[in-house]
Amino acid sequence: MKLAILGAGPGGYVAAIKAAQLGAQVTVIEETEVGGTCLNRGCIPTKSLAASSEMLAKLRQSEDFGIELKGEIIPNLSKIIERKNKIVNTQVKGIRGLFKSWGITLKEGRGVLQSPSEIEVTLKDGSKETTAADKIIIATGSRPSQIPAFPFDGDRIISSNDAINLTDIPKSLLIVGAGVIGCEFACIFKELGSEVSIIEMLPRAVATEDIEISEQLERELKKKKIKLYTNVKVEKVDVKDDGVHAWLTDGKETVAEKTLVSIGRAFNSNGIGLETIGINKDIRGEIIVNEKMETNVPGIYAIGDVIGGLLLAHVASKEGITAAKNVMGGDERIDYSVVPAGIFTSPEIGSVGLREHQAAEKGIKVRTGHFQFRTLAKAHIMGEISGFFKIVSEETTDRILGVHIIGPHASDLIHEAAIAIKKGLKTKDIAETIHAHPTLSEGMMEAADDVHGEAIHTIKR
Amino acid sequence: MNPDDLKYHKEHTWIKVSGRKATVGITDYAQNALGDIVYIDLPEVDMDFEINNEIGEIESTKATSSIIAPLTGRVIEVNEDLSESPEIINEDPYGKGWIAILEIDDISELDDMMDSSEYEKYVEEEAK
Repeated sequence: MKLAILGAGPGGYVAAIKAAQLGAQVTVIEETEVGGTCLNRGCIPTKSLAASSEMLAKLRQSEDFGIELKGEIIPNLSKIIERKNKIVNTQVKGIRGLFKSWGITLKEGRGVLQSPSEIEVTLKDGSKETTAADKIIIATGSRPSQIPAFPFDGDRIISSNDAINLTDIPKSLLIVGAGVIGCEFACIFKELGSEVSIIEMLPRAVATEDIEISEQLERELKKKKIKLYTNVKVEKVDVKDDGVHAWLTDGKETVAEKTLVSIGRAFNSNGIGLETIGINKDIRGEIIVNEKMETNVPGIYAIGDVIGGLLLAHVASKEGITAAKNVMGGDERIDYSVVPAGIFTSPEIGSVGLREHQAAEKGIKVRTGHFQFRTLAKAHIMGEISGFFKIVSEETTDRILGVHIIGPHASDLIHEAAIAIKKGLKTKDIAETIHAHPTLSEGMMEAADDVHGEAIHTIKR
Repeated sequence: MNPDDLKYHKEHTWIKVSGRKATVGITDYAQNALGDIVYIDLPEVDMDFEINNEIGEIESTKATSSIIAPLTGRVIEVNEDLSESPEIINEDPYGKGWIAILEIDDISELDDMMDSSEYEKYVEEEAK
């Protein structure tokens, strides 16, 4: 089996390794760098920046911990970026090393489908060659969407791709879009010292999350003095010497040194030959696939951001594994029922399964349990007491349907819930499991007990 | 210990009336029950509100709780010092820890409020 994969992001590279493990002869074609958006422009760079800003926040809290610092605490953004690049490079080398060990061929250049069994690759030196394959997986990903009226210029109007490489901390930053990316950058740059405002056309920040999670995040943003304007759009933007002026639909005018546009992602499905071989796309350009990751053209699969849906690295990887197994004769179907996700704001958000409002929309009767981080000794020890655990369970069966956490380490804490939902566990199962003390995980146990009004460290209602 | 020149509301706020204006804060009992205050979500100036509705929130190391309006009216000033140093409420709940100044809509609502000795009894009852 000769398999060619277009794109070496978390979808493509994982598919490549899985297929190689199963005995395929794999060629991966990548235009920029292995690791894709996740490693080079997304998850890893932003979390690296977030780690530096968290370190800064901790240092600023040092006196509370009984530690006196002498002198000023000064963030140096170019050094922060240097550290980020080092982390990225280590991971890139790791993937390249894995490719080598599994005998995967990496062609660095832009690939365009010529037929269902041929990809023309324009290599970095300009030369062209053709890769022949029995089957092909398309994993070309996505890129930041831009607003046509004010396209990215890489300096004043920037995308997340630019924001991870700024070397000077902007005095002020206007962020358009209070989704995951917008809110993460808001927290990072605010801590570094920028004046940050966010505008969002929807009624709330991180609008896909549970409503109580959005409300708590909005309050945390307010505490940090990040200005959030919801239900408002940008009408016009003008780049002037004194900054980027933006006129909003509510009549307000804002001025900021830079404007970060984070309004969503556009699919990389143009100019790669999909039309030549007749692959079906949906209205926004995402490739249409079935649950086996097959496109309408036999032998051609598509995975990751380019198929739309949940644009998450770990979802892309799972789709990659599913596609690779099917390429090698398997009969795997993707299961999206349990997808944990982390948002690396400060504090973090972790969520999995049904939101409370979704349950209402679906007519499912639920109970909820809450537990505040500030009730946990460990949260006080860490000096991070904001946030809560929320469990949504089915009223009739007690089965856990969703868990939503905002607070320290929420993105790590969520996995207990992911397994619980995957295995159909009840809140009682979590509540009756001994959780170690003193840990943050105790909050899950208490929230599970709270579903039945039985949490130990909650006052009687 | 609760000043005599103030009026008290059952949700543990106090007011100091001056004409049609009332300064509002939380009581010593409330700040004590909350513990160390770490954040206050202040009401917004010009906000209209009704008696017994939430006008803001206070977060302490123990809990998050609502600030309940002791009367109907409009916010005309808030104590901005609290956003930087909310612990002032713990230190001086009846003085520097004032939260907002309200314009009173219906002066008759004051009749339903408690004086200091009534409030002390009320708190004793609640503590039982």
